[in-house]
Amino acid sequence: MEKTILIGGEAGMGSAVTSHFIGKIFTEWGYYVFNYRDYPSLIRGGHNFNILKISDKPVYSHELKYDFILALDQKTIDTHKKDLNKGGLIFGNKDTEPIIQKLQGPKILANNVLIGLLFKHFGVDLNILFAAAEKTFGKNADMVKKSIQEGYQLGSEKEKLKKLTAKRFISGTEGMGIGAIAAGLDIYLAYPMTPATPLLHFLAKRQIENNILVFQPENEIAVINAALGASFAGAKTMIGTSGGGFALMTEAFSLAGMAELPLVVYSSQRGAPSTGLATHTAQGDLKFAINAGHGEFPRVVLTPGDAQEAITRTQEAFYLAGKYRIPVILLSDKHLAESDYTLDEIKKSPLPAGRFILENPPEDYKSYKITVNGVSPAAVPGQGPIVRANSYEHDEYGHTIEDAATTIKMQDKRFKKSAYLKKEISKLNPVSVYGKGSNLLVSHGSTKGAILDALPQLKNFRFLQVSYLEPFPSEAVAKEIKKSKKVILVENSATGALADVIKEKIGIEIKNKILKYDGRPFTPAYLIKELKK
Amino acid sequence: MESKDLGTTQINTWCPGCPNFGILNSVKEAIAELVNEGKVSAKDTALVAGIGCHGKIYDYLNLNGFNGLHGRVLPVCFGTKLGNPDLTVIGFGGDGDTFDEGVSHFVHACRYNMDITMMVHINQVFALTTGQANAITEKGFIDGSTPLGQGEKPINSVLLALELGATFVARGYALQAPHLKEIMKKAILHKGFSYIDILQPCIVYHKHSVPYLSKNAYKLDETHDISNFNQAIEKAREWDYSYEKDTKVPIGIFYETQRPTFESQWPQLKQPWHTVDRKPNWDSITREFK
Ligand SMILES: Cc1ncc(C[n+]2csc(CCOP(=O)(O)OP(=O)(O)O)c2C)c(N)n1
Ligand code: SF4
Repeated sequence: MEKTILIGGEAGMGSAVTSHFIGKIFTEWGYYVFNYRDYPSLIRGGHNFNILKISDKPVYSHELKYDFILALDQKTIDTHKKDLNKGGLIFGNKDTEPIIQKLQGPKILANNVLIGLLFKHFGVDLNILFAAAEKTFGKNADMVKKSIQEGYQLGSEKEKLKKLTAKRFISGTEGMGIGAIAAGLDIYLAYPMTPATPLLHFLAKRQIENNILVFQPENEIAVINAALGASFAGAKTMIGTSGGGFALMTEAFSLAGMAELPLVVYSSQRGAPSTGLATHTAQGDLKFAINAGHGEFPRVVLTPGDAQEAITRTQEAFYLAGKYRIPVILLSDKHLAESDYTLDEIKKSPLPAGRFILENPPEDYKSYKITVNGVSPAAVPGQGPIVRANSYEHDEYGHTIEDAATTIKMQDKRFKKSAYLKKEISKLNPVSVYGKGSNLLVSHGSTKGAILDALPQLKNFRFLQVSYLEPFPSEAVAKEIKKSKKVILVENSATGALADVIKEKIGIEIKNKILKYDGRPFTPAYLIKELKK
Repeated sequence: MESKDLGTTQINTWCPGCPNFGILNSVKEAIAELVNEGKVSAKDTALVAGIGCHGKIYDYLNLNGFNGLHGRVLPVCFGTKLGNPDLTVIGFGGDGDTFDEGVSHFVHACRYNMDITMMVHINQVFALTTGQANAITEKGFIDGSTPLGQGEKPINSVLLALELGATFVARGYALQAPHLKEIMKKAILHKGFSYIDILQPCIVYHKHSVPYLSKNAYKLDETHDISNFNQAIEKAREWDYSYEKDTKVPIGIFYETQRPTFESQWPQLKQPWHTVDRKPNWDSITREFK
């Protein structure tokens, strides 16, 4: 069983909520669902749509051919009818309007009529829909239920979907949020910027029950400087933004490197340069993330590829930031952040959520003590000894210095961490290899979904997913590339930054690239077509 | 505790005779006295400094400290207090630091009313970068970057703090250390955002303010009602930071009022986060996705 459903309408008509509602019912009924969201940067009007791919086997991506079009306006039909599969069905105004008139209800109820029509087709029991409606809409569910019922009666049963084991339906953003809370987050600071904003909302809504603090300061520069103050004071701190906001943060990102303060930076990419495509996806910030900030200092950059990885990689980000006292960038994008994935079960990383703060710091505490691995055990103000953080070059106590010898000593101290970090990361699956074959697709981040779904249809291809981009897992990447015949880079960018990074790190040039920079994610069909060229 | 306990052995690189020494001594004495009076704990005090001559105070005070970026003292103060609401947080900024590079943060700090104290070293130049004009420099000032003369009127920083809603606004004079110390003590004890505008003539790049201020500065006395906002505004308008003609320069506390602090409005801000014993419960975190 595999079906693709498009739901569209103007912004504010409900396609996002309805697609999630439908996806949730399918996953509870035991099916795998991938939910892709496409919307312009406006609040009312325009054309928003979601694409749901539903299957009894795992799915990680969407396609642009539909078995159903659920239309909340005529534009949806006009735009997408050409992509309807043979035998596909369109439900739209002609079905919903008479019912809304009969119920004398608001237009928004069209969504529920469409839901009724769709699930009747699959023979899903009406009570299941009612229960879901109550769960989502609570007390106001009466009209919703009535309109679902009307749609249901109008439809006709064409298939009988078997109930399978219930699954979990979760977005990349929700994954990042779960990961952060599981890692022991104390404070999240962010200034709104799509597509990082959903994480701000997710955490803000859950702040009281989880005893975390979520605040939106006056701008991104305040966000990161305040975050460093909080980290200095002993809080586990995360900040969120997209490329433009991160650009404003880079001076203080370098401060995090110099002052050796743990910080997790969630940067969710969108179309760029500049304000770019606010609500569309891209992977054009890879080199920016690796190089952001003036001067030289160790950092970690990691990119989750799906909602499950969003959880575990976020936990890893906190672990590494705290243990090594460094800034860590969790690089995501619109496609990962705003798509819903299906998991059999939600898994967590086994890494501990503890704090890397000394319980009883010695009286003669040195904030920047030189140790074997370069990591100075952390103390925080209030514990007793003097604790310092300095943006100037400094000695072990954190006092400002300018002399040459101490400068070298302290720069070496910070870079001592690199070798240990690399070793630590080698245990965290910095790369993953999928499939069998002598040819290799190489990619990172959210492209994982389309590639995984294309792989079974490709002959003789493996997929190398690089999840840690800094420190770069050179040996593992070189090994996979060297044993492959044809190597092709896949990236949502115009230049294929990962190929440049690979060239720089291991000296291998990847000439073949499949690049997409129209703000839209890859689909398996698109990849397969490109690979045939 | 004696004030010398709050000093360090770092070599002081301020110009000999710089009024910054007066600020340093006043802070040490203010904190030592507050500690001795049992009102402040030194180990629970953290200072935040900007970048400029003023920022060097970070190295000369034996207290927890964060020497951050140019212009970003206030967000670091904000974050430090957010990270541990039990700390007494004191910021030291330059006038360039606070009213040029970081002025947006000043606007919001006045609005948030977090319980922190901000001391701004008003020397009317970017001193450490060799004396360029800044937002508080008087019209007509000539320097390396402004050979044709500064064209604009300065910001009246005391007036700005009042208009933006700071709940404690004062002006001190670095060359009147005992008076400055008393202001500092009250500012630190004030619950909410305290702003002290500290006149700190740069004796290299803005020499003329020393004789002017020595002649014209006067202390606000009992006749000034610090709870009267309109009177405070009037006093703030007496001097506009210019030197064209002799004008009286009031120093002292202009205004003090009470408003709920930022931190009092967050039920989560009860204790230092590092003392929160977190045991994230996986089942409850993921329950909503069942
Ligand atoms: C982002 C940034 N821009 C510029 C500088 C260079 N800089 C260092 S100190 C300073 C001005 C200092 O003036 P002020 O804040 O008034 O402090 P003062 O030296 O007068 O105490 C500047 C512009 C810097 N360190 N960082
Ligand atoms: S340059 Fe001016 S402000 Fe800086 S130390 Fe010298 S006198 Fe003081």
